Amino acid sequence: MIPTHLRQELEQRVAHAITPREAAVDVMKELQRHYGWLTDEAVAEAAAILGLSPLQVEELATFYEMIYRRPVGRTVVHVCDSISCWAMGGETLLRHLEQMLGIEAGSTTADNAVTLLPCCCLGNCGNAPALMIGDRLFGPVSPEQAAAIIADHRTPRPADP
Amino acid sequence: MIKLIIDDIPVEVPEGTTVLEAAQSVDIPIPHFCWHPALGKAGACRVCAVKLLDGPVKGVQMSCMLPAQDGMVVSTTDAEAVAMRKSVIEWLMINHPHDCPVCDEGGECQLQDYTIAGGHGIRRYDGKKRTHVNQYLGEYIEHEMNRCIQCYRCARFYQEYAGGTDFGVMGRAATIYFGRQEEGPLESPFSGNLVDICPTGVFTDKTARFRARYWDYDMAPSICPHCSLGCNTVPMARYRELLKTTARRNDRVNGWFMCDKGRFANTMVNAPDRPRQALVDGTPVTLDEALDALATRIDDFLELHGPQALAIVGSPRMDLGGNIMAARLAELLGAGALCYFDTPDQAHLTGEAVALLTAESSASQEDVRKADLIALVGCDLLNEAPMMALAVRQAWRSGAKVYVIAPHPDLLPEGEGTNHTLAPGERVAEGRVRGQLPFPFEHVATLAAVPLAEAKRPVVICGATTEGVEAVQSPPRTAKLAFILDGPNAFGCAELARQHNTVALSTALADSRIRGIISFEADLPRDLSPVIDVLAAADWRPTRLTARAGVFLPTTAWVEQEGIYVNNEGRAQRFNKVMNPGLPIKGLTPELHPPRTHGKAAPGGNVAPAERLIATLMQRLGEAEVEELEFPLLDKEDPLGPKGARGWSSSCLGLKATTPGPS
Repeated sequence: MIPTHLRQELEQRVAHAITPREAAVDVMKELQRHYGWLTDEAVAEAAAILGLSPLQVEELATFYEMIYRRPVGRTVVHVCDSISCWAMGGETLLRHLEQMLGIEAGSTTADNAVTLLPCCCLGNCGNAPALMIGDRLFGPVSPEQAAAIIADHRTPRPADP
Repeated sequence: MIKLIIDDIPVEVPEGTTVLEAAQSVDIPIPHFCWHPALGKAGACRVCAVKLLDGPVKGVQMSCMLPAQDGMVVSTTDAEAVAMRKSVIEWLMINHPHDCPVCDEGGECQLQDYTIAGGHGIRRYDGKKRTHVNQYLGEYIEHEMNRCIQCYRCARFYQEYAGGTDFGVMGRAATIYFGRQEEGPLESPFSGNLVDICPTGVFTDKTARFRARYWDYDMAPSICPHCSLGCNTVPMARYRELLKTTARRNDRVNGWFMCDKGRFANTMVNAPDRPRQALVDGTPVTLDEALDALATRIDDFLELHGPQALAIVGSPRMDLGGNIMAARLAELLGAGALCYFDTPDQAHLTGEAVALLTAESSASQEDVRKADLIALVGCDLLNEAPMMALAVRQAWRSGAKVYVIAPHPDLLPEGEGTNHTLAPGERVAEGRVRGQLPFPFEHVATLAAVPLAEAKRPVVICGATTEGVEAVQSPPRTAKLAFILDGPNAFGCAELARQHNTVALSTALADSRIRGIISFEADLPRDLSPVIDVLAAADWRPTRLTARAGVFLPTTAWVEQEGIYVNNEGRAQRFNKVMNPGLPIKGLTPELHPPRTHGKAAPGGNVAPAERLIATLMQRLGEAEVEELEFPLLDKEDPLGPKGARGWSSSCLGLKATTPGPS
């Protein structure tokens, strides 16, 4: 369950949109911020707020790469695998990150700190190979730089209560 | 008008026509998957590539996305365009299974046809195929996502055209998935159309999987008998079993689609308890013997009670020919009563409704789809005529305003725009829940409150109910009318009732003078008084009347005969014989099949259309020559046009006759 104030805020945002669908990405992002990822519960809540069916929210949620329908780590690293980055060593970058983190692309480290995801074009072709963490774009990224960037973004495990 | 040249043929088309449609208008076929006449374009499949040799646009282009423009010179046969289409097919086949022989769609698959037409016979791709997990979508539709070629027809039909919200497209690119969020039966009452519009085998009719190939079917143009709209269909049968029904295009009636209620109601034709044996007092006899016995019994009855004591009963369920012959039989015998409807209300209201309709004022489903204002009065569309709800949705999608007239908000159907005062649970308790309409509407109390005069093409859709008929006694002249009647031939029966002196069945039965009845495909919703003698009942379904009949005459179902239904708008539509009657071979034990005795009829096939039974009976009763029925009003035009029933190949399935209204 999301807190009442968040629900009200989102409902207001939907009321101000010309069509509810237009506000769908905003609503999904807020719910994802709240839960860490877009849980099944969140899909149902988004549907209720937007006046759509859960399937219609699912359609949008699974279309957008930055909406996570499965649990992710505290930091999500998107590594571009589209053609410009591929030509500039994107594959090598992704393999290097896999080795460094000890995981396969598409999975999360055992300590739940980092999720590594290949993604489609980040629009940063001029600075290929590129990667993105949160809203921050990086590029061109050498394997050494990638290690430093990820070390910078590794957020520590929240202290036990 | 736009002038362009396609394959050296000068073509003239109205503005807004695509190059693909322009080519079709002169019978030049261009392959397509995502484009569908009812759904429009998506630009998703890339298989309609043509080359523009000259004009405002040049090079290889997608003909479904390109509006025709003056001066275009288009080639569909240019080597570059052909090579492109060939590559697209090969690429669409990369992930498609190599198993046409074991796929239920094989033989009626657009992808199979184009793969062969494109010359892609040998697979070069040796990589890994994309695979999906299929979903359970209910008892009617089978899901096989691996066959998907991402044309989006299903999602576009389901959500945009039909207003469903529980099925759609998820994911993107290589992981794209057409299905539900979770497994479960599809909720839309039009879901069966996915089977018809999918260009490959992702959706197949679960009720008839692996029973026959396309070329095995007995099929013919037919009309759906399950409501009064008269949607055009192609029923498909094999080995005396009606296996499935598909929609047949008729732009003036159902367009390209049909509802699930009509599509998945085939079992009653094959039902093991369907009466197929002529009986005299419960003893099996041949149809001829039964007719002889009936003729004798009628003579005896007339001698004992006089003709005034006899009622002849037709039915809105029976085709026009049968009902006309019932009237002739009543005339020949001088019967005291001729009945077509059960209650006086039903007879009166259907008569009133039909009297209000003229060739000009009667609205077809096409008129509804093109209306700019629609008012619904006293009808429950999703239960009584689902395709009319789909037609109203198309009008709403083009901007029409929809009003539902109800004296109280709690009498409104479910859907967007309701202002119910009771909670859903309470409405269920009060028995007031009607199906959820697939379009938003506004509630008004009376028809007078609907701004009919301001609309250009208004249509009022009413039930043949007191509420509906009263509301439209004096509609503005500009408004067209559509009535939802009860039965595929209710209009025909009302017209016959007007021409002959008829009474309602319940009135006749309440009259102490009536001592005996002969019924043809009539339903009686309550028990019959024991003093009434059911001399004979003819039907292909078991009813209260057949259970009581002294002589039982088995008739053919609509798919086993030729006939005419007059639909709710007064359009007489001929249906052809699809299959031979008889017990389905499936289910027969080796003792019964193959048959051990020589005969012309199949086991259980000694049945006849009611029309023919009555004609024969009249001969036995001494009528020297029974005139054959002729329908000169029915013209021979073919509303299918040059395109086939499923939109990609020309087909022999032409509708034989259609004519609006009795004017």
